[in-house]
Amino acid sequence: MPAFDVQQFRQQFAFFQQQPEWVYLDNAATMHKPQAVIDAITQFYQHYNSNVHRGAHQLSQQATILFEQARSTVASYINAQHLHEIIFCSGATAALNQIAFGLMHTVLQPGDRILLTQLEHHANIVPWQLHCQRHGVIIDVVPLTAEHRIDLVAYEQLLALGPKVVSFSHISNVLGHIQPVAEMVRLAKAAGAVTVIDGAQGIVYQQPDMQQLDCDFYVFSGHKLYGPTGIGVLYGKTEQLEHLTPIFAGGEMIDSVSFINTSFNKLPFRLEAGTPNIAGAIGLSAAIEWLQKYNNKQIIQHKSLLLKEFYNGLTFIKGIDILSSHVHNAGIVALNVDSEHPADVAELLNQQQIAVRSGQHCAMPLFSCLARPGAIRCSFAAYNTLDDVNRCLLALEQTVEILTA
Amino acid sequence: MTLEQLLADTKPVLLDIQQRNLAEIEQARDWQAKYRVLMQLGKKLPAIPEKMKQPELLVKGCESRAWLMHYHDKATDKHYFVLDSEARIVKGLMAIMLCLVNGMTTTELCQFDLCHKFDQLNLKPYLSQSRGNGLTAMVSRIKQCCK
Repeated sequence: MPAFDVQQFRQQFAFFQQQPEWVYLDNAATMHKPQAVIDAITQFYQHYNSNVHRGAHQLSQQATILFEQARSTVASYINAQHLHEIIFCSGATAALNQIAFGLMHTVLQPGDRILLTQLEHHANIVPWQLHCQRHGVIIDVVPLTAEHRIDLVAYEQLLALGPKVVSFSHISNVLGHIQPVAEMVRLAKAAGAVTVIDGAQGIVYQQPDMQQLDCDFYVFSGHKLYGPTGIGVLYGKTEQLEHLTPIFAGGEMIDSVSFINTSFNKLPFRLEAGTPNIAGAIGLSAAIEWLQKYNNKQIIQHKSLLLKEFYNGLTFIKGIDILSSHVHNAGIVALNVDSEHPADVAELLNQQQIAVRSGQHCAMPLFSCLARPGAIRCSFAAYNTLDDVNRCLLALEQTVEILTA
Repeated sequence: MTLEQLLADTKPVLLDIQQRNLAEIEQARDWQAKYRVLMQLGKKLPAIPEKMKQPELLVKGCESRAWLMHYHDKATDKHYFVLDSEARIVKGLMAIMLCLVNGMTTTELCQFDLCHKFDQLNLKPYLSQSRGNGLTAMVSRIKQCCK
Protein backbone atom coordinates (compact mmCIF):
# COMPACT_ATOMS: atom_id res chain seq x y z
CA MET A 1 0.00 0.00 0.00
CA PRO A 2 1.38 3.48 -0.88
CA ALA A 3 2.32 5.85 1.96
CA PHE A 4 -0.42 7.95 3.54
CA ASP A 5 -0.82 11.13 1.51
CA VAL A 6 -2.33 13.73 3.82
CA GLN A 7 -2.93 16.23 1.02
CA GLN A 8 -4.87 13.69 -1.02
CA PHE A 9 -6.87 12.77 2.11
CA ARG A 10 -7.55 16.41 3.00
CA GLN A 11 -8.67 17.31 -0.50
CA GLN A 12 -11.75 15.19 -0.01
CA PHE A 13 -13.08 17.60 2.58
CA ALA A 14 -14.82 20.52 0.90
CA PHE A 15 -14.77 22.36 4.22
CA PHE A 16 -11.03 23.00 4.01
CA GLN A 17 -11.37 24.47 0.54
CA GLN A 18 -14.18 26.72 1.77
CA GLN A 19 -12.36 27.78 4.94
CA PRO A 20 -8.66 27.56 4.09
CA GLU A 21 -7.74 30.14 6.73
CA TRP A 22 -8.93 27.98 9.63
CA VAL A 23 -6.88 25.44 11.56
CA TYR A 24 -9.43 22.96 12.84
CA LEU A 25 -8.28 21.23 16.02
CA ASP A 26 -11.68 20.51 17.55
CA ASN A 27 -11.97 17.03 16.11
CA ALA A 28 -12.81 15.40 19.42
CA ALA A 29 -16.00 17.51 19.41
CA THR A 30 -16.94 16.70 15.83
CA MET A 31 -15.10 15.86 12.64
CA HIS A 32 -15.47 17.17 9.12
CA LYS A 33 -17.19 15.04 6.51
CA PRO A 34 -15.59 13.82 3.29
CA GLN A 35 -17.39 14.34 -0.02
CA ALA A 36 -18.29 10.62 -0.10
CA VAL A 37 -20.48 11.10 2.98
CA ILE A 38 -22.11 14.31 1.76
CA ASP A 39 -22.82 12.66 -1.61
CA ALA A 40 -24.33 9.54 -0.03
CA ILE A 41 -26.74 11.62 2.05
CA THR A 42 -27.68 13.86 -0.88
CA GLN A 43 -28.20 10.88 -3.16
CA PHE A 44 -30.44 9.20 -0.64
CA TYR A 45 -32.69 12.25 -0.39
CA GLN A 46 -32.63 12.86 -4.15
CA HIS A 47 -33.21 9.32 -5.34
CA TYR A 48 -34.42 6.96 -2.64
CA ASN A 49 -36.10 8.93 0.13
CA SER A 50 -38.82 6.75 1.71
CA ASN A 51 -39.54 5.34 5.10
CA VAL A 52 -38.04 1.97 5.93
CA HIS A 53 -39.49 -1.42 6.81
CA ARG A 54 -43.14 -0.56 6.29
CA GLY A 55 -43.87 0.68 2.80
CA ALA A 56 -45.89 -1.34 0.34
CA HIS A 57 -43.94 0.20 -2.51
CA GLN A 58 -40.63 -0.37 -4.17
CA LEU A 59 -39.15 2.93 -3.02
CA SER A 60 -39.52 1.89 0.58
CA GLN A 61 -37.94 -1.44 -0.22
CA GLN A 62 -34.93 0.34 -1.75
CA ALA A 63 -34.60 2.59 1.28
CA THR A 64 -34.84 -0.43 3.56
CA ILE A 65 -32.13 -2.22 1.61
CA LEU A 66 -29.80 0.80 1.91
CA PHE A 67 -30.56 1.18 5.62
CA GLU A 68 -29.97 -2.50 6.33
CA GLN A 69 -26.80 -2.44 4.23
CA ALA A 70 -25.61 0.36 6.50
CA ARG A 71 -26.20 -1.91 9.49
CA SER A 72 -24.19 -4.59 7.76
CA THR A 73 -21.31 -2.18 7.03
CA VAL A 74 -21.14 -1.17 10.69
CA ALA A 75 -21.40 -4.79 11.87
CA SER A 76 -18.51 -5.93 9.73
CA TYR A 77 -16.43 -2.83 10.57
CA ILE A 78 -16.52 -3.62 14.29
CA ASN A 79 -16.72 -7.39 13.71
CA ALA A 80 -20.02 -7.96 15.48
CA GLN A 81 -21.20 -11.55 15.38
CA HIS A 82 -24.75 -10.70 14.25
CA LEU A 83 -26.38 -7.88 12.30
CA HIS A 84 -29.07 -7.47 14.95
CA GLU A 85 -26.35 -6.58 17.46
CA ILE A 86 -26.06 -3.16 15.78
CA ILE A 87 -28.71 -0.80 17.15
CA PHE A 88 -28.93 2.58 15.44
CA CYS A 89 -29.57 5.51 17.77
CA SER A 90 -28.82 9.23 17.79
CA GLY A 91 -25.32 8.96 19.26
CA ALA A 92 -23.17 7.69 22.09
CA THR A 93 -25.13 9.72 24.67
CA ALA A 94 -28.44 8.17 23.59
CA ALA A 95 -26.84 4.72 23.61
CA LEU A 96 -25.52 5.14 27.16
CA ASN A 97 -28.91 6.40 28.31
CA GLN A 98 -30.57 3.35 26.76
CA ILE A 99 -28.14 1.00 28.46
CA ALA A 100 -28.40 2.64 31.89
CA PHE A 101 -32.20 2.76 31.71
CA GLY A 102 -32.48 -0.67 30.13
CA LEU A 103 -30.44 -2.63 32.66
CA MET A 104 -32.45 -1.46 35.68
CA HIS A 105 -34.64 -4.23 37.11
CA THR A 106 -33.31 -6.73 34.60
CA VAL A 107 -29.61 -6.90 35.44
CA LEU A 108 -29.47 -4.31 38.23
CA GLN A 109 -31.53 -4.74 41.39
CA PRO A 110 -31.73 -2.42 44.44
CA GLY A 111 -28.54 -2.71 46.50
CA ASP A 112 -26.42 -3.78 43.50
CA ARG A 113 -23.24 -1.88 42.60
CA ILE A 114 -21.90 -0.50 39.34
CA LEU A 115 -18.39 0.76 38.61
CA LEU A 116 -17.44 3.92 36.67
CA THR A 117 -14.13 5.82 36.47
CA GLN A 118 -13.04 9.31 37.47
CA LEU A 119 -12.31 10.39 33.90
CA GLU A 120 -15.65 9.64 32.28
CA HIS A 121 -17.57 12.06 30.09
CA HIS A 122 -20.79 13.24 31.77
CA ALA A 123 -22.72 11.05 29.32
CA ASN A 124 -21.20 8.02 31.00
CA ILE A 125 -21.93 9.33 34.51
CA VAL A 126 -25.24 11.16 34.63
CA PRO A 127 -27.51 8.53 32.97
CA TRP A 128 -26.23 6.04 35.55
CA GLN A 129 -26.78 8.53 38.40
CA LEU A 130 -30.34 9.25 37.25
CA HIS A 131 -31.38 5.63 37.15
CA CYS A 132 -29.22 4.32 39.98
CA GLN A 133 -30.66 6.88 42.41
CA ARG A 134 -34.21 5.87 41.55
CA HIS A 135 -33.48 2.15 41.76
CA GLY A 136 -31.19 2.10 44.77
CA VAL A 137 -28.08 1.03 42.86
CA ILE A 138 -24.70 2.09 44.28
CA ILE A 139 -22.04 3.74 42.07
CA ASP A 140 -18.34 3.18 42.78
CA VAL A 141 -15.68 5.24 41.01
CA VAL A 142 -12.20 4.06 39.99
CA PRO A 143 -9.64 6.76 40.90
CA LEU A 144 -6.76 7.85 38.66
CA THR A 145 -3.03 7.47 39.04
CA ALA A 146 -0.69 10.46 39.30
CA GLU A 147 -0.35 10.25 35.48
CA HIS A 148 -4.14 10.69 35.15
CA ARG A 149 -4.73 7.16 33.98
CA ILE A 150 -7.15 4.63 35.40
CA ASP A 151 -5.62 3.08 38.52
CA LEU A 152 -5.73 -0.63 37.69
CA VAL A 153 -4.85 -1.69 41.23
CA ALA A 154 -7.82 0.25 42.61
CA TYR A 155 -9.90 -1.08 39.71
CA GLU A 156 -9.26 -4.66 40.77
CA GLN A 157 -10.02 -3.83 44.40
CA LEU A 158 -13.34 -2.24 43.41
CA LEU A 159 -14.16 -5.21 41.16
CA ALA A 160 -13.84 -7.37 44.25
CA LEU A 161 -16.96 -5.58 45.61
CA GLY A 162 -18.87 -7.42 42.90
CA PRO A 163 -20.31 -4.71 40.63
CA LYS A 164 -22.93 -6.02 38.20
CA VAL A 165 -21.96 -3.47 35.54
CA VAL A 166 -18.66 -1.75 34.71
CA SER A 167 -18.69 1.20 32.28
CA PHE A 168 -15.62 3.09 31.07
CA SER A 169 -14.32 5.05 28.12
CA HIS A 170 -11.98 3.64 25.49
CA ILE A 171 -10.13 6.97 25.23
CA SER A 172 -10.37 9.96 27.58
CA ASN A 173 -12.15 12.78 25.74
CA VAL A 174 -10.09 15.37 27.63
CA LEU A 175 -6.61 13.87 27.83
CA GLY A 176 -6.57 11.54 24.84
CA HIS A 177 -5.12 8.75 26.97
CA ILE A 178 -5.86 5.30 25.61
CA GLN A 179 -7.23 3.06 28.34
CA PRO A 180 -6.16 -0.58 28.63
CA VAL A 181 -9.68 -1.65 27.65
CA ALA A 182 -8.88 -5.27 26.73
CA GLU A 183 -7.35 -5.83 30.14
CA MET A 184 -10.18 -3.99 31.88
CA VAL A 185 -12.81 -6.08 30.09
CA ARG A 186 -10.96 -9.28 30.95
CA LEU A 187 -10.80 -8.36 34.65
CA ALA A 188 -14.43 -7.24 34.74
CA LYS A 189 -15.61 -10.44 33.09
CA ALA A 190 -13.61 -12.51 35.54
CA ALA A 191 -15.48 -10.64 38.28
CA GLY A 192 -18.79 -11.45 36.58
CA ALA A 193 -19.70 -7.90 35.53
CA VAL A 194 -21.44 -6.71 32.37
CA THR A 195 -19.00 -4.47 30.47
CA VAL A 196 -19.90 -1.21 28.72
CA ILE A 197 -17.36 0.77 26.67
CA ASP A 198 -17.90 4.39 25.70
CA GLY A 199 -16.19 4.39 22.32
CA ALA A 200 -17.02 7.99 21.39
CA GLN A 201 -13.32 8.85 21.00
CA GLY A 202 -12.11 5.28 20.53
CA ILE A 203 -13.95 4.52 17.30
CA VAL A 204 -11.91 6.88 15.16
CA TYR A 205 -8.60 5.86 16.66
CA GLN A 206 -8.75 2.21 15.79
CA GLN A 207 -11.17 -0.26 14.31
CA PRO A 208 -12.44 -2.08 17.41
CA ASP A 209 -13.03 -5.81 17.08
CA MET A 210 -16.07 -6.75 19.16
CA GLN A 211 -15.45 -10.46 19.16
CA GLN A 212 -11.84 -10.04 20.17
CA LEU A 213 -12.50 -7.30 22.73
CA ASP A 214 -15.39 -9.39 24.07
CA CYS A 215 -17.15 -6.48 25.81
CA ASP A 216 -20.92 -6.67 26.25
CA PHE A 217 -21.67 -3.18 24.94
CA TYR A 218 -19.69 -0.66 22.86
CA VAL A 219 -21.22 2.69 21.87
CA PHE A 220 -20.17 5.48 19.52
CA SER A 221 -21.38 8.49 17.53
CA GLY A 222 -21.19 8.72 13.75
CA HIS A 223 -20.08 12.35 13.66
CA LYS A 224 -16.81 11.51 15.40
CA LEU A 225 -16.07 9.00 12.63
CA TYR A 226 -16.37 11.37 9.63
CA GLY A 227 -20.11 10.64 9.54
CA PRO A 228 -23.16 12.87 10.01
CA THR A 229 -24.50 14.12 13.35
CA GLY A 230 -27.60 12.52 14.84
CA ILE A 231 -26.59 8.92 14.15
CA GLY A 232 -24.83 6.58 16.51
CA VAL A 233 -24.43 2.93 17.29
CA LEU A 234 -25.24 0.85 20.33
CA TYR A 235 -23.48 -2.46 19.86
CA GLY A 236 -24.45 -5.21 22.29
CA LYS A 237 -24.06 -8.94 22.48
CA THR A 238 -27.37 -10.62 21.69
CA GLU A 239 -27.98 -11.98 25.19
CA GLN A 240 -27.20 -8.58 26.73
CA LEU A 241 -29.41 -6.66 24.32
CA GLU A 242 -32.23 -9.03 25.29
CA HIS A 243 -31.88 -7.71 28.85
CA LEU A 244 -32.45 -4.10 27.85
CA THR A 245 -35.85 -2.58 28.52
CA PRO A 246 -36.50 -0.15 25.63
CA ILE A 247 -36.17 3.49 26.65
CA PHE A 248 -38.39 4.59 23.76
CA ALA A 249 -41.53 2.86 22.54
CA GLY A 250 -43.63 3.14 19.42
CA GLY A 251 -43.40 2.37 15.72
CA GLU A 252 -41.23 -0.39 14.35
CA MET A 253 -40.27 -1.72 17.80
CA ILE A 254 -43.72 -3.19 18.40
CA ASP A 255 -45.01 -6.60 17.41
CA SER A 256 -48.64 -6.31 18.50
CA VAL A 257 -50.55 -3.81 20.62
CA SER A 258 -53.64 -4.20 22.74
CA PHE A 259 -54.62 -2.58 26.02
CA ILE A 260 -54.23 -5.97 27.70
CA ASN A 261 -50.86 -6.96 26.34
CA THR A 262 -48.37 -5.32 23.98
CA SER A 263 -45.53 -7.42 22.62
CA PHE A 264 -42.30 -6.20 21.15
CA ASN A 265 -40.60 -6.87 17.85
CA LYS A 266 -37.32 -8.79 17.73
CA LEU A 267 -33.84 -7.27 17.76
CA PRO A 268 -32.63 -4.88 16.47
CA PHE A 269 -36.04 -3.26 15.90
CA ARG A 270 -37.16 -3.67 19.52
CA LEU A 271 -34.61 -0.97 20.47
CA GLU A 272 -35.19 1.31 17.46
CA ALA A 273 -38.50 3.07 18.16
CA GLY A 274 -39.88 5.53 15.64
CA THR A 275 -38.54 6.35 12.22
CA PRO A 276 -34.79 5.91 12.37
CA ASN A 277 -32.26 8.41 11.04
CA ILE A 278 -32.14 6.68 7.66
CA ALA A 279 -29.96 9.23 5.88
CA GLY A 280 -27.69 9.34 8.94
CA ALA A 281 -27.16 5.58 8.90
CA ILE A 282 -26.43 5.68 5.16
CA GLY A 283 -24.00 8.58 5.73
CA LEU A 284 -22.24 6.70 8.51
CA SER A 285 -21.96 3.64 6.33
CA ALA A 286 -20.48 5.77 3.54
CA ALA A 287 -17.96 7.19 6.02
CA ILE A 288 -16.85 3.71 7.07
CA GLU A 289 -16.58 2.45 3.50
CA TRP A 290 -14.60 5.53 2.54
CA LEU A 291 -12.29 5.27 5.55
CA GLN A 292 -11.55 1.63 4.82
CA LYS A 293 -9.77 2.67 1.63
CA TYR A 294 -6.99 3.94 3.89
CA ASN A 295 -4.59 2.02 6.04
CA ASN A 296 -5.33 2.81 9.66
CA LYS A 297 -1.78 1.97 10.77
CA GLN A 298 -0.52 4.72 8.46
CA ILE A 299 -3.14 7.12 9.80
CA ILE A 300 -2.05 6.36 13.36
CA GLN A 301 1.57 6.97 12.32
CA HIS A 302 0.63 10.27 10.71
CA LYS A 303 -1.25 11.40 13.81
CA SER A 304 1.59 10.44 16.12
CA LEU A 305 3.97 12.45 13.96
CA LEU A 306 1.68 15.48 14.36
CA LEU A 307 1.53 14.87 18.11
CA LYS A 308 5.32 14.53 18.35
CA GLU A 309 5.84 17.81 16.51
CA PHE A 310 3.21 19.52 18.65
CA TYR A 311 4.74 18.34 21.93
CA ASN A 312 8.18 19.27 20.67
CA GLY A 313 7.02 22.78 19.72
CA LEU A 314 5.27 23.26 23.06
CA THR A 315 8.55 22.85 24.92
CA PHE A 316 9.74 26.10 23.29
CA ILE A 317 6.79 28.14 24.55
CA LYS A 318 7.09 29.53 28.05
CA GLY A 319 4.49 28.82 30.68
CA ILE A 320 2.57 25.98 29.04
CA ASP A 321 1.01 23.50 31.45
CA ILE A 322 0.36 20.24 29.56
CA LEU A 323 -2.18 17.90 31.14
CA SER A 324 -2.04 15.09 28.57
CA SER A 325 0.81 12.64 28.37
CA HIS A 326 2.21 11.95 24.90
CA VAL A 327 2.45 8.25 25.78
CA HIS A 328 -0.50 6.09 24.64
CA ASN A 329 -2.25 9.18 23.39
CA ALA A 330 -4.83 9.02 20.61
CA GLY A 331 -4.21 12.60 19.42
CA ILE A 332 -5.78 14.85 22.06
CA VAL A 333 -3.76 17.39 24.05
CA ALA A 334 -5.27 19.28 26.98
CA LEU A 335 -3.22 22.25 28.10
CA ASN A 336 -3.28 25.59 29.86
CA VAL A 337 -1.22 28.74 29.82
CA ASP A 338 0.09 29.13 33.38
CA SER A 339 -2.29 31.07 35.63
CA GLU A 340 -4.50 32.09 32.72
CA HIS A 341 -8.13 31.07 32.30
CA PRO A 342 -8.63 28.65 29.37
CA ALA A 343 -11.49 30.79 28.04
CA ASP A 344 -9.02 33.65 27.46
CA VAL A 345 -6.53 31.36 25.74
CA ALA A 346 -9.24 29.89 23.50
CA GLU A 347 -10.57 33.33 22.60
CA LEU A 348 -7.13 34.57 21.57
CA LEU A 349 -6.62 31.40 19.51
CA ASN A 350 -10.04 31.97 17.95
CA GLN A 351 -8.91 35.43 16.88
CA GLN A 352 -6.08 33.70 15.06
CA GLN A 353 -8.51 31.21 13.48
CA ILE A 354 -7.39 28.23 15.47
CA ALA A 355 -10.45 26.19 16.45
CA VAL A 356 -10.03 24.46 19.81
CA ARG A 357 -12.39 23.78 22.66
CA SER A 358 -12.04 25.22 26.12
CA GLY A 359 -13.67 24.48 29.46
CA GLN A 360 -14.17 21.24 31.32
CA HIS A 361 -15.23 19.23 28.25
CA CYS A 362 -18.19 17.57 30.01
CA ALA A 363 -15.82 15.90 32.46
CA MET A 364 -16.12 17.91 35.69
CA PRO A 365 -15.13 15.03 37.99
CA LEU A 366 -11.87 14.70 36.05
CA PHE A 367 -11.13 18.41 36.45
CA SER A 368 -11.83 18.38 40.17
CA CYS A 369 -9.14 15.71 40.31
CA LEU A 370 -6.77 17.68 38.05
CA ALA A 371 -7.34 20.76 40.28
CA ARG A 372 -7.67 23.14 37.36
CA PRO A 373 -10.62 25.30 36.27
CA GLY A 374 -10.53 23.75 32.81
CA ALA A 375 -8.21 23.48 29.86
CA ILE A 376 -8.03 24.10 26.17
CA ARG A 377 -8.13 20.96 24.10
CA CYS A 378 -6.33 20.53 20.79
CA SER A 379 -7.56 17.37 19.08
CA PHE A 380 -5.95 16.17 15.88
CA ALA A 381 -7.42 14.20 12.99
CA ALA A 382 -5.90 12.44 10.00
CA TYR A 383 -6.61 15.45 7.76
CA ASN A 384 -4.54 17.78 9.94
CA THR A 385 -1.11 18.67 8.60
CA LEU A 386 2.25 19.70 9.99
CA ASP A 387 1.34 23.18 8.80
CA ASP A 388 -1.72 23.07 11.12
CA VAL A 389 0.57 22.07 13.98
CA ASN A 390 2.97 24.90 13.27
CA ARG A 391 0.23 27.49 12.90
CA CYS A 392 -1.27 26.41 16.21
CA LEU A 393 2.13 26.65 17.90
CA LEU A 394 2.73 30.14 16.49
CA ALA A 395 -0.73 31.24 17.59
CA LEU A 396 -0.10 29.86 21.08
CA GLU A 397 3.15 31.80 21.23
CA GLN A 398 1.36 34.99 20.24
CA THR A 399 -1.37 34.21 22.81
CA VAL A 400 1.15 33.81 25.61
CA GLU A 401 2.81 37.04 24.52
CA ILE A 402 -0.47 39.00 24.65
CA LEU A 403 -1.52 37.46 27.96
CA THR A 404 1.77 38.10 29.69
CA ALA A 405 2.47 41.54 28.20
CA MET B 1 -14.46 44.86 52.15
CA THR B 2 -18.09 45.94 51.86
CA LEU B 3 -20.39 46.50 48.90
CA GLU B 4 -20.16 50.25 49.52
CA GLN B 5 -16.37 50.17 49.25
CA LEU B 6 -16.50 48.04 46.10
CA LEU B 7 -19.04 50.38 44.53
CA ALA B 8 -16.88 53.37 45.43
CA ASP B 9 -13.79 51.70 43.92
CA THR B 10 -15.60 50.54 40.80
CA LYS B 11 -17.39 53.77 39.92
CA PRO B 12 -14.37 55.86 38.88
CA VAL B 13 -12.93 52.93 36.92
CA LEU B 14 -16.15 52.54 34.94
CA LEU B 15 -16.19 56.27 34.30
CA ASP B 16 -12.62 56.14 33.03
CA ILE B 17 -13.46 53.22 30.75
CA GLN B 18 -16.32 55.19 29.28
CA GLN B 19 -14.33 58.35 28.79
CA ARG B 20 -11.07 56.85 27.58
CA ASN B 21 -11.05 53.16 26.74
CA LEU B 22 -14.17 52.93 24.58
CA ALA B 23 -12.54 55.15 22.01
CA GLU B 24 -9.36 53.08 22.20
CA ILE B 25 -11.33 49.94 21.41
CA GLU B 26 -13.19 51.58 18.55
CA GLN B 27 -9.93 52.83 17.08
CA ALA B 28 -7.80 49.73 17.74
CA ARG B 29 -5.63 49.14 14.67
CA ASP B 30 -5.67 45.33 14.92
CA TRP B 31 -7.20 42.57 17.01
CA GLN B 32 -4.10 42.37 19.22
CA ALA B 33 -4.46 46.01 20.21
CA LYS B 34 -8.18 45.59 20.88
CA TYR B 35 -7.59 42.57 23.11
CA ARG B 36 -4.78 44.27 24.99
CA VAL B 37 -7.21 47.05 25.92
CA LEU B 38 -9.95 44.56 26.82
CA MET B 39 -7.62 42.74 29.17
CA GLN B 40 -6.46 45.99 30.77
CA LEU B 41 -10.08 46.82 31.52
CA GLY B 42 -10.47 43.52 33.30
CA LYS B 43 -7.38 44.27 35.34
CA LYS B 44 -8.48 47.81 36.24
CA LEU B 45 -11.78 46.73 37.76
CA PRO B 46 -11.50 45.86 41.46
CA ALA B 47 -11.97 42.15 42.13
CA ILE B 48 -14.79 40.88 44.32
CA PRO B 49 -13.16 39.13 47.31
CA GLU B 50 -13.63 35.34 47.27
CA LYS B 51 -15.75 35.25 50.41
CA MET B 52 -18.18 37.82 48.99
CA LYS B 53 -18.82 35.67 45.89
CA GLN B 54 -22.08 34.20 47.14
CA PRO B 55 -23.80 31.62 44.90
CA GLU B 56 -26.71 33.96 44.18
CA LEU B 57 -24.30 36.46 42.59
CA LEU B 58 -23.00 33.90 40.12
CA VAL B 59 -23.78 34.54 36.45
CA LYS B 60 -22.98 31.30 34.75
CA GLY B 61 -21.35 31.31 31.36
CA CYS B 62 -20.47 28.08 29.67
CA GLU B 63 -16.71 28.38 29.97
CA SER B 64 -16.07 30.79 32.81
CA ARG B 65 -17.86 32.06 35.89
CA ALA B 66 -18.78 35.69 36.56
CA TRP B 67 -20.34 37.50 39.52
CA LEU B 68 -22.54 40.59 39.54
CA MET B 69 -23.41 42.77 42.55
CA HIS B 70 -26.12 45.38 42.26
CA TYR B 71 -27.08 48.38 44.35
CA HIS B 72 -30.23 50.41 43.78
CA ASP B 73 -30.10 53.86 45.35
CA LYS B 74 -33.80 54.35 46.05
CA ALA B 75 -33.45 58.07 46.82
CA THR B 76 -32.14 58.88 43.34
CA ASP B 77 -33.51 55.72 41.62
CA LYS B 78 -30.06 54.98 40.25
CA HIS B 79 -28.51 51.53 39.68
CA TYR B 80 -24.85 50.76 40.43
CA PHE B 81 -22.92 47.58 39.76
CA VAL B 82 -19.78 45.65 40.67
CA LEU B 83 -18.57 42.63 38.72
CA ASP B 84 -15.89 40.02 38.51
CA SER B 85 -15.06 37.16 36.17
CA GLU B 86 -12.56 34.31 36.09
CA ALA B 87 -11.63 35.13 32.51
CA ARG B 88 -9.88 38.39 31.69
CA ILE B 89 -11.31 39.00 28.22
CA VAL B 90 -14.84 38.27 29.41
CA LYS B 91 -14.29 40.59 32.36
CA GLY B 92 -13.15 43.33 29.99
CA LEU B 93 -16.23 42.89 27.80
CA MET B 94 -18.49 42.88 30.84
CA ALA B 95 -16.76 46.01 32.13
CA ILE B 96 -17.76 47.75 28.91
CA MET B 97 -21.35 46.68 29.45
CA LEU B 98 -21.29 48.01 32.98
CA CYS B 99 -19.74 51.35 32.14
CA LEU B 100 -22.61 51.94 29.75
CA VAL B 101 -25.32 51.25 32.32
CA ASN B 102 -23.75 52.20 35.66
CA GLY B 103 -25.70 54.98 37.35
CA MET B 104 -28.74 54.67 35.07
CA THR B 105 -32.24 55.16 36.42
CA THR B 106 -34.74 52.29 36.26
CA THR B 107 -36.41 53.72 33.17
CA GLU B 108 -33.09 54.32 31.42
CA LEU B 109 -31.92 50.81 32.22
CA CYS B 110 -35.14 49.23 30.92
CA GLN B 111 -34.94 51.15 27.66
CA PHE B 112 -31.21 50.73 27.11
CA ASP B 113 -30.33 48.77 23.95
CA LEU B 114 -27.01 47.08 24.66
CA CYS B 115 -26.93 45.24 21.32
CA HIS B 116 -27.05 48.52 19.46
CA LYS B 117 -24.24 49.98 21.56
CA PHE B 118 -22.08 46.87 21.18
CA ASP B 119 -22.64 46.98 17.45
CA GLN B 120 -21.25 50.52 17.37
CA LEU B 121 -18.14 49.32 19.19
CA ASN B 122 -17.74 46.37 16.79
CA LEU B 123 -18.26 44.03 19.71
CA LYS B 124 -21.64 42.61 18.68
CA PRO B 125 -20.30 39.13 17.76
CA TYR B 126 -19.58 38.60 21.47
CA LEU B 127 -23.26 38.85 22.28
CA SER B 128 -24.21 35.97 19.99
CA GLN B 129 -26.11 33.07 21.54
CA SER B 130 -23.66 30.54 20.19
CA ARG B 131 -20.83 31.89 22.30
CA GLY B 132 -20.39 30.35 25.68
CA ASN B 133 -18.77 33.38 27.29
CA GLY B 134 -21.77 34.26 29.43
CA LEU B 135 -22.23 37.78 28.08
CA THR B 136 -25.85 37.21 27.13
CA ALA B 137 -26.46 35.82 30.63
CA MET B 138 -24.89 38.99 32.05
CA VAL B 139 -27.12 41.19 29.89
CA SER B 140 -30.27 39.49 31.15
CA ARG B 141 -29.02 39.66 34.75
CA ILE B 142 -28.44 43.42 34.39
CA LYS B 143 -31.85 43.88 32.80
CA GLN B 144 -33.49 41.94 35.65
CA CYS B 145 -32.20 44.60 38.03
CA CYS B 146 -34.71 47.11 36.69
CA LYS B 147 -37.66 44.85 37.46
